Amino acid sequence: MRFLNTIDELLRGRLTSAADLRRGTIEIPVRTLALAGLVLGAVYGLCMGLYAPLRAENASVLQVLATTAKVPLLFLLTLVVTYPSLYVVSALFDSRLRHGATLRLLLAAMTANLALLASLGPVTAFFTLCTESYSFMIVLNVAFFAVAGLVGLGFLRKALDAVFEPEEEMAAPPPSVEYSEPADPDESARTSGLEAAHFPSRLSRLRRPARPAARRVFTFWTLVYGVVGAQMGWVLRPFIGSPELPFVLFRADRESNVFSAFFRSLAHLFT
Amino acid sequence: MSLGVDALLRAEGRFALGHGRLPLGRLIGIVLLGGFTYGAAMGCFGLRPLQALYSGLKVPLLIATATALCLPMFFVLNTLLGLRDDFGAALRGVLSAQATVAVMLAACAPLVLLAYATSSDYVFGMRANGGLFLLAALAGQRTLERHYEPLVRRDPLHARVKRAWLVLYVFVAIQAAWVLRPFVGDPNYEPTFLREDLWSNAYVVILRDVLGLWRR
Repeated sequence: MRFLNTIDELLRGRLTSAADLRRGTIEIPVRTLALAGLVLGAVYGLCMGLYAPLRAENASVLQVLATTAKVPLLFLLTLVVTYPSLYVVSALFDSRLRHGATLRLLLAAMTANLALLASLGPVTAFFTLCTESYSFMIVLNVAFFAVAGLVGLGFLRKALDAVFEPEEEMAAPPPSVEYSEPADPDESARTSGLEAAHFPSRLSRLRRPARPAARRVFTFWTLVYGVVGAQMGWVLRPFIGSPELPFVLFRADRESNVFSAFFRSLAHLFT
Repeated sequence: MSLGVDALLRAEGRFALGHGRLPLGRLIGIVLLGGFTYGAAMGCFGLRPLQALYSGLKVPLLIATATALCLPMFFVLNTLLGLRDDFGAALRGVLSAQATVAVMLAACAPLVLLAYATSSDYVFGMRANGGLFLLAALAGQRTLERHYEPLVRRDPLHARVKRAWLVLYVFVAIQAAWVLRPFVGDPNYEPTFLREDLWSNAYVVILRDVLGLWRR
């Protein structure tokens, strides 16, 4: 129950409140969150791996077990590999988060990402039951990983905005919620008073220019995490398991990488 | 009317907008009854009672399956975007929309019977049903919009969640309908609850058909 409560609190944003992030602290039960990440990843892995035992040729139950373990491992190993560089860059931009808090923030974003991925698990399982096409399953899974990844990035971006909020904005009073009558009545349609009365916090957030430091750190983190994540996925493959090949835990061609394979496929398409 | 269909369509009473106790029993009752009514009419092509019974059972199953598969994502996305406090109201909207689809389908049952009476062409029958399903989907959309309007006014992020729900729901519902086919029932074949090749993928079949046409 505590486990579910922690995931719920995290998704609601209570474990990464803006006030805590501005102070540079994140009070997150790391062990519970890591466990949550493992379980959520395993749930999606189970749904993803179902394709292997259901295919006509080379059916394999072992692939289910392997994928159940590999999906959480993919996220965890990517975090382990990228964390040092991510921390260094954020420190270079004067992040308020120390190394422990940075790790906790990344773990929180990863768990949010995995929570959405796990929630798409039933849809993946349903399509796995209905689909013989290996290519379709690859496209579907890549799309779900991409959607979940984007939401995880949104979570991270919001947090980084608070982390890098300048001191003067922290000291400034919060925007007024009250509707104020503009001095010139003709100006009323153009002023934000009425709009602010409806949803002040969101509007003020939308109008605020993106913080350069937050933006740079976010861009770097996204690039590094994305590139390493893609290559990690390539190293840990197969996840779905090609129906033409027997089960293997890892593919043998360790020298290749995801990008050269992508460009080879692209070239293949046009020749 | 004891299920409160009128109140559902007007979003009044226990089906009113906003928070409050979800009338789950009534919503399920409406989906079962409305779906069965339309399904039974849909399966009347060729006047085969067994196919009518099968289709009557499958339409509510189709609505329930697509909804159940998409709800986990809907819940997580609402929570992640900080909209959890409004989840009760959003869920009311989504489930009321499903019930509205079933009501609209039931209301279209006479139309489908008329279509069958005027033509014995199987393809025409399928197209007529396709059009009526589209009409029912638009009716459901109307209820969803009505429930979401105050939510979006309070927080524009609700519009994104609604779009995500619609995209995933349509994607899943098309495949669920494919798995649960036949609904109309080709008169050249025996009535059947599910096709033998039920576990195939609608999108792959469509794509192969399109590519086949392209290569011709």
